[in-house]
Amino acid sequence: MNRKHKVLIANRGEIAVRIMQACKKLGLEFVSVYTAEDVSSGHVALARELGGEKSLYRISSYHDANELLCIADEAGATAVHPGYGFFAEDFRFARRVTERERSLVFIGPSWRVIRDLGDKINTKRLARSIGVPTVPGSDRPIYDELEAEKVARTLFEYQLQQGIARPLVLVKASAGGGGMGIEEVYDIDTFRQVYRRIRNYAMRQFKDEGVLIEQRVTDFNHLEVQVLSDRSGRNPVHFGTRNCSIQSTGRQKRLEVAPGFDPSSIEYGFDAAAVLDEITQHSLNMARKVGYDSVGTWEWIVTRDGHPFLMEVNTRIQVENGVSAAISRVKGQEVDLIAEQIRTGLGDALGYTQDDITFHGVGVEYRIIAEDPDSGFAPWVGDIDRFQWEERDWCRLHTHVPSASPEKPYTIPTEFDPNLALGIIWGRDLAEVSANGLDFLEHLVLEGHNGKGEPLKSNVEFLKKKTERMLRF
Amino acid sequence: MRDIAEVLEALKAEPYTEKEVCAPHSGVITFTDIAEGAKVHGFTGMWKEIPGTHIATITREKNPRKVLANERGVMQKVYRELDGTFVESGTPLGVIRHYLTRQEVVSRLLKESLYAFCAPERAKYYFTPDIDTKVKMLGCRTVTIHDGMELFIVSRMKREVPLCYSGPTGIIYDVYFDQQKNVDAGAPLIVVCPPDQQSAVEDVVARVQSEWVEGE
Amino acid sequence: MEWEKQLHQLADRLNYIKDIFPGKHAEDISELENGLAAARERFPDCAAAEVQAGLAALEDLFFRTECRLEDKLTPMDKVRIVRHPQRVCLRDILENVYDNYTEIGGQGEHTNDPAMVIARAYITRKRNGDVYHQPVLVIGHEKGHGEEFRNGGSAKPWGNAKAKHYMGVAETEGIPIHAYVFTPGGYPLEDYPGAAQQIAKNIYEMAGLTVPLIAVFSEGGSGGAEAISLADRRLMLSHGYYSVISPEGAAAIEGRLRGGARASADLVERCARDLHLTAEDNLKFGYVDKIIQEPVLGARPYHYEFFRTVRQEVLRATDEVVLKARGLAPLRAAMLRRLRDRELNLDEFFVSWKLSRAARQRLVEMRQNKFIKASYGEVRNTRSVMGRLGDAWSEQWWEIYNRLIYDLYQRNRRTFGNVVEEVRSEWEMFKIRVLKPWNKLRGKTEEVAVTSEEELTTLSDWDENSRSGWNWVSKKAREDRAVSCPYSAQRGCMDMWAPDLYDEFAGVCSTCGHHFPMEYQWVMNNCFDEGSLYEFNTEVEAGNPLNFPDFDAKIADAKQKTGLKSGCITFEARIDGVQCVVAILVGSFRGGSVGVAEGSKFVAAADRARRKRYPFIVYCHGTAGIRIQEGTHGVIQMPRCTVAVRRYIEAGGLYLVLYDTKSYGGPVASFLGCAFYQFAIRSSDIGFAGPGVIKNTTGIDIAPDHHNCYKALSRGHIQGVWDRRDVRVNLRQALETMGGRNLYYR
Repeated sequence: MNRKHKVLIANRGEIAVRIMQACKKLGLEFVSVYTAEDVSSGHVALARELGGEKSLYRISSYHDANELLCIADEAGATAVHPGYGFFAEDFRFARRVTERERSLVFIGPSWRVIRDLGDKINTKRLARSIGVPTVPGSDRPIYDELEAEKVARTLFEYQLQQGIARPLVLVKASAGGGGMGIEEVYDIDTFRQVYRRIRNYAMRQFKDEGVLIEQRVTDFNHLEVQVLSDRSGRNPVHFGTRNCSIQSTGRQKRLEVAPGFDPSSIEYGFDAAAVLDEITQHSLNMARKVGYDSVGTWEWIVTRDGHPFLMEVNTRIQVENGVSAAISRVKGQEVDLIAEQIRTGLGDALGYTQDDITFHGVGVEYRIIAEDPDSGFAPWVGDIDRFQWEERDWCRLHTHVPSASPEKPYTIPTEFDPNLALGIIWGRDLAEVSANGLDFLEHLVLEGHNGKGEPLKSNVEFLKKKTERMLRF
Repeated sequence: MRDIAEVLEALKAEPYTEKEVCAPHSGVITFTDIAEGAKVHGFTGMWKEIPGTHIATITREKNPRKVLANERGVMQKVYRELDGTFVESGTPLGVIRHYLTRQEVVSRLLKESLYAFCAPERAKYYFTPDIDTKVKMLGCRTVTIHDGMELFIVSRMKREVPLCYSGPTGIIYDVYFDQQKNVDAGAPLIVVCPPDQQSAVEDVVARVQSEWVEGE
Repeated sequence: MEWEKQLHQLADRLNYIKDIFPGKHAEDISELENGLAAARERFPDCAAAEVQAGLAALEDLFFRTECRLEDKLTPMDKVRIVRHPQRVCLRDILENVYDNYTEIGGQGEHTNDPAMVIARAYITRKRNGDVYHQPVLVIGHEKGHGEEFRNGGSAKPWGNAKAKHYMGVAETEGIPIHAYVFTPGGYPLEDYPGAAQQIAKNIYEMAGLTVPLIAVFSEGGSGGAEAISLADRRLMLSHGYYSVISPEGAAAIEGRLRGGARASADLVERCARDLHLTAEDNLKFGYVDKIIQEPVLGARPYHYEFFRTVRQEVLRATDEVVLKARGLAPLRAAMLRRLRDRELNLDEFFVSWKLSRAARQRLVEMRQNKFIKASYGEVRNTRSVMGRLGDAWSEQWWEIYNRLIYDLYQRNRRTFGNVVEEVRSEWEMFKIRVLKPWNKLRGKTEEVAVTSEEELTTLSDWDENSRSGWNWVSKKAREDRAVSCPYSAQRGCMDMWAPDLYDEFAGVCSTCGHHFPMEYQWVMNNCFDEGSLYEFNTEVEAGNPLNFPDFDAKIADAKQKTGLKSGCITFEARIDGVQCVVAILVGSFRGGSVGVAEGSKFVAAADRARRKRYPFIVYCHGTAGIRIQEGTHGVIQMPRCTVAVRRYIEAGGLYLVLYDTKSYGGPVASFLGCAFYQFAIRSSDIGFAGPGVIKNTTGIDIAPDHHNCYKALSRGHIQGVWDRRDVRVNLRQALETMGGRNLYYR
C-alpha cells in the first residue's frame, strides 16, 4: 500500500474517531471535518491530537459533497472514507469522487456496485439469477392487474402449503421506498382493491405504475454476513455472521450479537449451524458474482423454521463491524475491519484467505444512546456531566464523547442522532458474554441533565433487559 | 423587566448593531472593490428581488458564488488580508454596522418590557399549523394566546414534539425566531402583551417614533 | 373676427408642422412663423379687402410649404403624424364614412376597454332610385385624439376578447366587418384572458371567419394590429405605418439599451427607415392590398374629402371580396371589372353582400390562401429543382394514399374487418387439420404448468429497458464543476455537480425541482424513439429580407454558432411507434425569434402533418418574439402560421405546443397561443412581453415570477406543467387522449 495517501474522513462522531485511529495505525495521514454544532465532539479533539498539518477543517454541512471535496483539494487528500450514513451508499458521490478531474480513491465499493446493489429489485434479481433465496413473490414491477392477481393468488396458496396459518401478502410500489406505498393484504378478495390503490398512488407519486407483490414474512431473526474483499473483487472472505434482531420500536438496531446463532447453548427448531453456513456461502457467491470490492454486509432474515431470505446488501462499513472483529482472528491476530477496508480500498491485496480466519467465542455490541425507551425511544437532549466505564480486557468502548465533568459538560448536538458510544463485550460463550455485558452496563456511569434540570435518560436499562433475549426467537 | 427609558438610553448610546459577514461555506475568497466605510444594503424591492450589495465572491468546486450584504448599513471592516486565500465555512469576512430602525428599536424595547416566552431547549421551533397560517396571513398581533395552549412544535433530531405556552393571556406582540435556525435554550421566542398593558406598549411605540433618529 | 379665427387655424397648422418635424426644416417653419407674425401685426390696421388678400397669400404660402414638406417626409415623420392627437380617429370615421352608427358596449370610458370600439353601422347606396341600407360591423382601436383613458388605442386583452365576440356576432348575422387598425400595440397584461393568448384566439377566429373582413391600417403596431386584421382585403392609409415594433423599441434593441434608457433621435430615425414600415413598403411586400391617399401631411378631422375616399375604398373592397367569393360568373366578372373603374361612384352602385354557404366556404379558403402565400417570395430555399419536384410528387402521393387509406378504407372498415376475420379463422382451422399428424408424430406434449414455488422464487423474464440513461447528454455535463440552484437561498438547495445535474438529473435541481435551461437537443433526442428522426426542409435558410444594416453578419454568426440554418427545425419522429411531425423553435438561434424562414418551415410542417394525418407537436424551446429585423415580413408570420394551424386542426389533427425556457411575443400571441393543448416544462416563462417592456409601457413593476408557467396555468393560459423527465411519457399520454378525428393511429 502506498503510504503517501491522505484520507479525507467525510463523517463525524464515533466512526470518524475509528477511521482516524485506523489511519494512524496504518501510518496514513488524514483530514477530518466538523461543523459548528460539533466543535466539542471527541473526533475534533482527536483530530487535533493525532493529525498533522491541514488535518482539520470546519465545514457548513456534512451533507454537502462540494464542501467535502473542496476540503479534500485544499488539504491535499487523495482518498475519501465516507464512514456510515451521509455519503456511504451514495453512488453519485462515489462516482463524483472517482471521476472528477482531481480524482480521489473512494474507500468503499466502486460506484457501479453501490448503484446496482442499492436498487432492491436489482439485488433481488441478481440473487435469484444465482440461486440465492429471496422472499417469495415478484422480482420485477408488475403492471398488469390480472398478472398481479395471479401472483397474489399463488402466494396465498404457497404460504398455505408451507403451513402458514395466516398468510400475508405485501403490495408495494416498486419505485417507492422508506415505507411509503406499502400495504398488507390478508386475503385474496381484498387484494384487487389494495392493488389498485397502490398502483394509483405509485402513478401519482412516482409516475410509474409498477407494483411489487411479495410474501409478508413474520416472526424472523435479522441476520447479517460481514464480507470483505480487495479491489480485485475475486476473493471475498467473510467475518462471520451477526444477529441484529433486538431493535427499537422504530426498527433501529440497539444490540448486535456475533455469531448469528449459537446452537451450542440454545436449542433451535432447525439446524442453525447449517443455516449460518448457507447464508455465508450465498453471500460470498453473490459478492463474487458482482465483483464486490470492499467491505459490505449481506442482510438476511431467517424464519422461525429456518428459512433464510436475502433482504438487501449494505455497501458500506456498518456500525456493528466491531462485534464481528471481536470474534474473528486473522492468522491468530486481532483484526480491525475499518483498517482492513482502508488498506484494501487503497489497493492492497487481501493477503489471506478464508482459511486464515478463525472464530472464537461470542461478542455483543451495545449501542448506548441518550433516548427514552419508555416513550417511543424519543431522543434526549441536554448536557452530559459524567461518562465513565471500567476498563476490562473483555470490553472495548468506542465513543466520540469527550471526558465530561459537571464543570465542563458535553452538550449533545441536536442535529444528529444522540448515539453516545458503542460497547463491545466478548465472552467465551453466550453465558459468559451475558454476564460480562451485564457487568459492563452495571458499572457504566452516565449522568447528565437538560435545560429543565431533569436527569439524563438513556437506553442502558433497556439493553440490560434485552441481554437475556440474545440470539433467541 | 427594565425601565423603558433606561433601555432606550442604553440603545441611544449605541444605536447600531455590528454583525459579521461570514463565509457561507469553504472556498477561495475574492473581494470586490468595496471599501471600508462604504454603504451597503440588504435585499430590497417589493419582492426582495433586488440582491444586496456584492461584497465578495467565494469559489468552491469551480463554482463562484456571491457573498451579499444582508442588512442596510456601513461596511465597518473588510478583512482584505483574506483576499485570494482559502477560507473555512463561517470565517468572518467583514463587519457591517447596522443602525437600528425605529421598528427594530421598538422590538428590542418590547423584548425587555413585555413577558417573553423563552425556548426551553436548543432546537428549531415552529408555530402549530393553524397559528402559523394566522401569523403569516394576518400578522402575529391578531393571535391571542393563553396559558396551556398548544402553540409551538419543537423540532430536533428529525423528531417533532408539541410545546404548550405558559404565561399570561394576551396577544403575540412580536416573534423572535427563524424557523430555519436553531434557537438556544433561554432565548425568547415571542413576547406577549396582556390586554391591560396595551396602552403602555403603544406609548413606547409613540415615544420611539418621535424620539428615535434613524442613522445612516 | 373672421380673420382672427383663420389666423388661429393657420397657427394650429403651424404647430402641427412643428410637432411632425421636431428640430427639422427650421427655415420653412420660420418662414411660416414670420408670415403669421407679420399678418397678426398688420391685419388689425388693414381694410377688409387687404386682409382677404393677405390671408389668401398666407394660405397659399402654407399650402406650398406643406406640399414641399410632404415630399420630404421620412418614415419617422410619418410615425409622428400617425401618433399626433390631431390625426383622424375611429370616431371621425364612424361619423363621416358611415351614414349611421350605434356604438355597442361602450359610452366613452364606460366600457371594459375604451381602446377598442365596436359599432354597428350602415352605408346607404342607391341604384335606379332604390335605396339600400347595407349594414356592417365596425371594429377598431380608438385613440380618441389623445384622451388619456383610451390608452392611445392600446387594447387590453378583454378589449380583444370583445372584438372576437362581436366578430362571432357578425358571422351569425352574416354581415361584413370593417376593422380599423389604430394601435401602437397590444397592452401587455397577463390577467385572463391574457394579452398573447387572446390575440392568438382572435387570429385563429379570423382565420376561419365566414364573412368578408376589410381592414384599414393607420397605425399597425405588431401583435395589437394582428388581433383584428386578418382580413380579405387590407387597405392602408398613405401616411400610416405597419411595423413589427415601434422605431424607439427597435432602436433600444439595436443600441443595446437597458432599463428605460432613451435612444438618440438619429438612431430612432434610422431604425424607422430600416424597418420599412410605410404604406408603400408594405404594398410592395404585398401585406396590404391598396393605399388610400391622404391629404398632405396626413388626414385630420377636417379633411372631409378624405372621408369620401375612405368610404369609396371600403365599399370597393367589400364589393370585390363578395363578388370574388361568389365565383367568377361572367356577370360578376363584368361587375368586378366595372369596380376597377376609379371614376365610378360606388354610392350609386349596388352589390348585395349576402353570401351562400358555398361562397362563404370559398371566402375563407381564399383568405387562408392569401395569408399562406404571404411572404412566400422572401424564403431562401437552396433546395435543388429536382428535390423540389420530388417533394411535390411525394406530397401528391401522400394525399392520394391517405384518401385511399383513411377515407375509403376507414369508412368501410367494418365490412372489410369481417372479411379478414373470417379468412383468418378459416386459415387457423386449416392449419390445425394439416399439422395434426405431424404433431402426433413429434409427440409434442402440453407444456407443464410451472409449480407455484418455482414461479415465486426464481428469476422471471423481464425486458428492462426503461432504466438506461438519456440518449443525449448536454456538453455541460462534461465540465467538472459545481452548479448552484438559483433558489438555493430560499429553498436550501445544495450545489450539484454538473455531470450529475446535466446528465442523470436532466437539468432538474434535486432539492427543489427547479429546471435549469437545457439545449433544444435534449427534448429532440430524448423524447422520441431513438433513430426515428427524419428532418425535412433543411434547405430553408434565414436571411435578411429587409437588408437591415449589419444583420447579415449577425445571422451568419447565429448560423455558425448553432450549426443551423434557421431557428426552426422540422422533422418527423416516432413516440413509442406513433408517427408525428415536430417543429422546434430553437431558443439559441437569435433568441428563438421567428422570421420568414421559420414561419415557412412551420407552415410546411403543419401542411405535412395534415397530409400525412400525423399529430403535430411544436416544442418551443424558447422564443423572444418576431424577428424585428425582418419588419412586417416577420409580423405576417403570425396570421400566416395561425392559418396553417387552423387548417390543420380543422382537418382533424392534434396540435400540441410544449413551451420551455422563455417564450414571449408574437409567436405566443398567434400560432403557439392558439393551440387547444399547450403545456409547459417546469420553470419556464410564458407571456406577451418581458418584464422590461411591461415596465416601460405600463409603468407597473412585476414580480420576478410573474411569467412563470405555474402562474400561466393559474391564469388559464396553458393546460398543464410537465416535469422535463416526464415529457416523453406525457407526450405519449397526450397522443392517446387528445386530438381530432383524423389521426392515422386512431
